[in-house]
Amino acid sequence: MTIVSGKAEPRRRLQSARSDVLRKMWGHRADYAYVLPAIAVMLIVIAYPIYYTIELSFFNTPPGLQLRDKIFVGFSNYTAILTSGVFWQVTFNTLIWTVASTFVSFVLGFAAALALHRDFVGRGVLRAILIIPWVISAVAASYIWKWIYHSDFGIIGAVLVELGWASRPPNFIDSVSTVLPSLIVVNIWREFPFAMIMMTAGLQTVPEQLLRAAKVDGANAWQRFWHVTFPHLRNVSTVTILLLAVANFNSFIIPWIMTGGGPSNASHIWITHIYELAFGRQRWGVASAYSVLLFIILMTLGYFYVRALSGNERKDGSA
Amino acid sequence: MRRITVGGAALRGAVSTALTISLMSASALAAPPVDLSKWSPEYVRSIAGTQDFDTAGDCAKVTPLDYKGRLTFWYQGVFEGDPDLLRQYYKDFFATFRKTYPNIQLEEQALTYNDLLDKFRTALLGNAAPMAVRLQILGGTEFASKGYLQPLKPEDVGYSTEDFWPGAMKAVTWDGVTYGIPTNNETMAFIWNADIFKRAGLDPNKPPATWDDVVKYSKQIHDRLGIAGYGLVARKNAGNTPYRFMPQLWAYGGGVFDEATANPTYKDIELNSPQSKAALQASYDMYVRDKSVPVSALTNQQADNQPLFLAGQLGMMISHPSDYNVMLDLQKKATGTDKEKAQTVIDNMRYGLIPTGPDGKRAVVFGGSNIHILKPEYVEGGKVDEPAAKAIICMWTSPEWSLKMAYAGSNPGNLNGFKTKWMKERLDSIKFLDVTTSMLPYGIPFPALPQSPEIMNIIVPDMLQNALTGAMTVDQAADDAAKKVKDLMGGGL
Repeated sequence: MTIVSGKAEPRRRLQSARSDVLRKMWGHRADYAYVLPAIAVMLIVIAYPIYYTIELSFFNTPPGLQLRDKIFVGFSNYTAILTSGVFWQVTFNTLIWTVASTFVSFVLGFAAALALHRDFVGRGVLRAILIIPWVISAVAASYIWKWIYHSDFGIIGAVLVELGWASRPPNFIDSVSTVLPSLIVVNIWREFPFAMIMMTAGLQTVPEQLLRAAKVDGANAWQRFWHVTFPHLRNVSTVTILLLAVANFNSFIIPWIMTGGGPSNASHIWITHIYELAFGRQRWGVASAYSVLLFIILMTLGYFYVRALSGNERKDGSA
Repeated sequence: MRRITVGGAALRGAVSTALTISLMSASALAAPPVDLSKWSPEYVRSIAGTQDFDTAGDCAKVTPLDYKGRLTFWYQGVFEGDPDLLRQYYKDFFATFRKTYPNIQLEEQALTYNDLLDKFRTALLGNAAPMAVRLQILGGTEFASKGYLQPLKPEDVGYSTEDFWPGAMKAVTWDGVTYGIPTNNETMAFIWNADIFKRAGLDPNKPPATWDDVVKYSKQIHDRLGIAGYGLVARKNAGNTPYRFMPQLWAYGGGVFDEATANPTYKDIELNSPQSKAALQASYDMYVRDKSVPVSALTNQQADNQPLFLAGQLGMMISHPSDYNVMLDLQKKATGTDKEKAQTVIDNMRYGLIPTGPDGKRAVVFGGSNIHILKPEYVEGGKVDEPAAKAIICMWTSPEWSLKMAYAGSNPGNLNGFKTKWMKERLDSIKFLDVTTSMLPYGIPFPALPQSPEIMNIIVPDMLQNALTGAMTVDQAADDAAKKVKDLMGGGL
């Protein structure tokens, strides 16, 4: 009898919890109705492509066959990717590209935000100028930089030769050793204004009275920054870094337009490599397998992003 | 006076012989409208303007001029490296088509060479392709082999198969069935700046005879004048690269397969043969050892070589006769002393036959474009308006328009185009046209395989880049490329 009642009690609690959830859902039925169209669209444009990409990653798609005639190969695409030298080269490039672009963009953006947080004549104009790289089209910027870097008649090379600092124009994008750093510079140039805007917004939330109190207490500029300003910016910094990291992991326009991943794959990052595999070589299966791996990585980054945002909300709530 | 190197009985004889071997072999019993065995610049001049054609009348027999319909059409159009003259002919064509067929609602879209294949493939995957498409010569077999194209032969639009180059017909044939019609066919020529040659201590009226000479001349120009000698192009995913490297590869006796032979089987991979490696070594010597070509060759395409040539910073390059017109267009836009400098370059621009390999073998890519009709199931809306599609195909492949649309840079796909009055006019107005018509007999079509676009646009440029950047040795780069082709042909991942 005791045993029976011991089993029934949790079941009753479970049923009660379920009905509570259903009741709450019914109470919010209007909210669900509002988000339903968005969810439906997401299912069509996100969920189905994800499912199809995962499915396709288990098939071989030779160039002589239509996609509908694809051949099931199990995990062979994944094995082929992980045992390919190009995969590791492209992964290394992607890591360098993402880490360097994210870190330097953030540092430069933060420095610019700190500088522009002070009140001085021309601050507004300077802020507007610094935002320009971020607002102009990435495609246009890529073409402009391609000409700036041009190994035979680029403006940088011409100036260096004219000043006598180089005997011939430096080779920026036609060399395997300099192409990736050269592209990273362009990416940083384009991205740091975003970090600057984010950090400028964050700086405006730092309480002025705390900074004044610290100054009265004898704290110098560095101590005020490190002990008052920076702790207030920790969350916005985390979010900025994560957003930059996700954007950089997904970069396509700059490397594709400027070099197409070359020379000799030296500037291929994951997205450009996936594009070439799919649209240039029609290896839809291998490209899908790459995409699935990239999806897993980005979802992991996304998880940390959401956690960072949730942390912000919790802290804001408790404050 | 022609300043080109073509001339003399010996050359004419060689041209005729080569033509007979390379082009007639594909269709020995055919009776083309022009006598290919007599092919020479003089013969081309003699037939020009000898026949009139009524394009609208001919096409009316295929699709009545009052036909009412709708056509979606994509085509490989003009790009930044083409002359203004060609842009005008494209505009004229579509205006004339609309005037000739006023009840056909035409929705055309121009795409550049480097974008067309990717966009077309993507559209096909979504069953959103146009009803008709004009593709580069390299693309036809891929889409025919996959079953996207409808059978289509010249007879379907009122012409005869013999009206077209046999080599071009190979490129639209898959498994014995014809899936398209050639619109234009082209072979490029060798261009040099006589003034640069003179200043570098070379004979200004004598182009390099062999590819080994190109290497030597390029070095001499660079060492003496400090400018680039030869306009090497090694960019990936750009048609310009195979069009410039394959003639070199074939001249040295190499190839991807046996495509340079009269009856290719495409069985054995030759990309890592000693001859192919010698061709790659020549590029390596110019780029790495001598540093005598533009450093930007790895990211450049021919459109980047044109301003370099016009600025007097480049001694030699491979291109179409249209480059002369491009130079004139660019010169008009120049100002001040640049204008004078450009004029000097134009005055010293010379065209000649593409150099031979060490054994005297001369080769050039037999390029061009084809026009196709899609199967309805792959077309947006699921329907193909065949009469409308055939109307535009009839018009584009007519003697008149296949010539006009190739006016400055190419040659008519329809051999009757050589007989028109516009050909006569063209011979008088397009400088150096004789050279490229003389190169036609040496034309070698790309392998007629569905894998060709990947081989030519990705694997071959990759091989060049791997060797030229030092990422691999010449041997390793050639072996790596051969392995990639082998894997590709084996259906590998």
